[in-house]
Amino acid sequence: MYLLRLALASLGNRRFTALLTVFAIALSVCLLLAVERVRSEARASFANTISGTDLIVGARSGSVNLLLYSVFRIGNATNNIRWDSFEHFAAHPQVKWAIPISLGDSHRGYRVMGTSPAYFEHLHYGRGQSLQLASGRAFADAPFEVVLGAEVAQALDYQLGAELVLAHGVASISLVKHDDKPFKVVGILARTGTPVDRTLHISLAGMQALHIDWQNGMPARGAARVSASQVRSMDLQPQAITAMLLGLNSKIATFSLQREINQFRGEPLLAILPGVALQELWSLMGTAEQALFVVSLFVVLTGLIGMLTAILTSLNERRREMAILRSVGARPWHIASLLILEAFALALAGVLLGLLLLYLGIAAAQGQVQANYGLYLPLKPPTGYEWRLLGAILAAALLMGCVPAWRAYRQSLADGLSIRL
Amino acid sequence: MSSALISLSNLGFAWPGQAELLDIPSFTLQRGESLFLKGPSGSGKTTLLGLLGGVQQPKRGSILLLDQELSALSAGARDRFRVDHTGYIFQQFNLLPFLSVRENVELPCHFSRLRAKRAIQRHGSVDNAAAALLAHLGLDQPGLLQRRADQLSIGQQQRVAAARALIGQPELVIADEPTSALDADAREAFLQLLFAECREAGSSLLFVSHDQSLARLFDRSLSLAELNRATRLTEI
Repeated sequence: MYLLRLALASLGNRRFTALLTVFAIALSVCLLLAVERVRSEARASFANTISGTDLIVGARSGSVNLLLYSVFRIGNATNNIRWDSFEHFAAHPQVKWAIPISLGDSHRGYRVMGTSPAYFEHLHYGRGQSLQLASGRAFADAPFEVVLGAEVAQALDYQLGAELVLAHGVASISLVKHDDKPFKVVGILARTGTPVDRTLHISLAGMQALHIDWQNGMPARGAARVSASQVRSMDLQPQAITAMLLGLNSKIATFSLQREINQFRGEPLLAILPGVALQELWSLMGTAEQALFVVSLFVVLTGLIGMLTAILTSLNERRREMAILRSVGARPWHIASLLILEAFALALAGVLLGLLLLYLGIAAAQGQVQANYGLYLPLKPPTGYEWRLLGAILAAALLMGCVPAWRAYRQSLADGLSIRL
Repeated sequence: MSSALISLSNLGFAWPGQAELLDIPSFTLQRGESLFLKGPSGSGKTTLLGLLGGVQQPKRGSILLLDQELSALSAGARDRFRVDHTGYIFQQFNLLPFLSVRENVELPCHFSRLRAKRAIQRHGSVDNAAAALLAHLGLDQPGLLQRRADQLSIGQQQRVAAARALIGQPELVIADEPTSALDADAREAFLQLLFAECREAGSSLLFVSHDQSLARLFDRSLSLAELNRATRLTEI
């Protein structure tokens, strides 16, 4: 105990270097924990993006591609699927529910998705949570109604009843707007932490209405133009959709239905299991995430080496201190313990300060991160894994403390009680 | 128990790979005696003090401290024996600058149970012992005990070092040029205080210096060159 007092007093005497060392360790610890947190939360929220859906069906392409555009609203479908294919499988005896998805338009950088009311009823995320409306209602049969994801409403500051114009295509600045057919906000969804937050939902009829007068990817001109009021009386049954989500009566049927869809004779289709595709996609991103983690481990190591350097350089100027301690009865192992204690105290202070920085950082950035990346970082106590990481850092510091301890031990044996200066 | 506190016989020492530095046929220091040992730098006095402190081991011969053969003890036991029975005062910068005056004085009591016990027996507590010693040495200004050691003048620091050497009444006080950083007047005053405290504690004083002018104040005066046959040989 007295040795600890001596070690702290001696550190206090070198407080500037000590503080810098502590700060370096704290920053590295903070970085490591932040990376670890973002990593685990990203993985969790990733795996929670969709649940309860047994099969995702789209035009034949790659499974990751299909997952990206149907669930994450990233990239585009290479081809559509016909409406009668959707009807065929929606009516399949094994299928409990089917959600059609139609993509392709956007609004100020956010994707617009055409779907059916079944979407609000059957789409689940996280641990089986269903979508909740924060305000308003789901869209009805009227074509020009839109339900906003939480983030869209917040970022663009839309209230119920607001009118907005959708843009053709998915570029954030679109030159071709559907400005002849404005949509009215009828509902805003509660936050889910999934891509749903960044989506504008309209009915398939609305999607069809937008494009009913389009020819060859361009809006019609002059007399061929169909106005919003005209369109209401027209048949808005879509000819094609982009993808569909299927829920089955029994999980056991998943593989046989998947095979049936993949061998469908009507048109080339691809059915994927969301869980498997998510795994596949995560393993792609996993490499980057692991690299980030390894880099932050090295940053911690750098911090600890900085500490080692600081202690080792101090040894020479502290020979007198050691000799005095020897003359008042400190044995060489006391001197060695002093240095190990010193290393441990520095690392402990660094770890504690690092934790403080982490929580301050999370508290400060929580809202921003959620708004910009859809990632919720909770202010929760360190997990078992994080405690183990911190423990490992302290253990590494102890181990490193043995280096100056050993040198000081040798030095104090050689110097004895007096040093000639 | 013999009356000799230190007794060296046929002592030889050489640093590895070097010629013999010390060759002392016989030397004794009596209990309660104050001895002036004159030694110019390089004469092996630091080495002799290292041997007496048990930090170095002799090549041959015996060192008896309080009738205990030092080389018969393990390194750890020698360290313990040293702090139990010896107080040290060095030339300068004797104190740990980051501790208070009081903590500096009490240092030996943290490493030697015997000296802590003796301090408590005599003064009731280690804190009292430190305050009493400092007061005897003329350091009783209010607030001084709590000050950092490096805020004191050199003369005050040496008196704090003396108090530290004397706390818990070790049988032997070894002073290695403690006055060389002081001016002439302060030297004698410091020595008088040191003598008085050594008498009070019953400690022998082994005072090593090259300053011959101080020799007259001691019970006995010796030159290391007279003791040490090795140096005589190299001088010829």
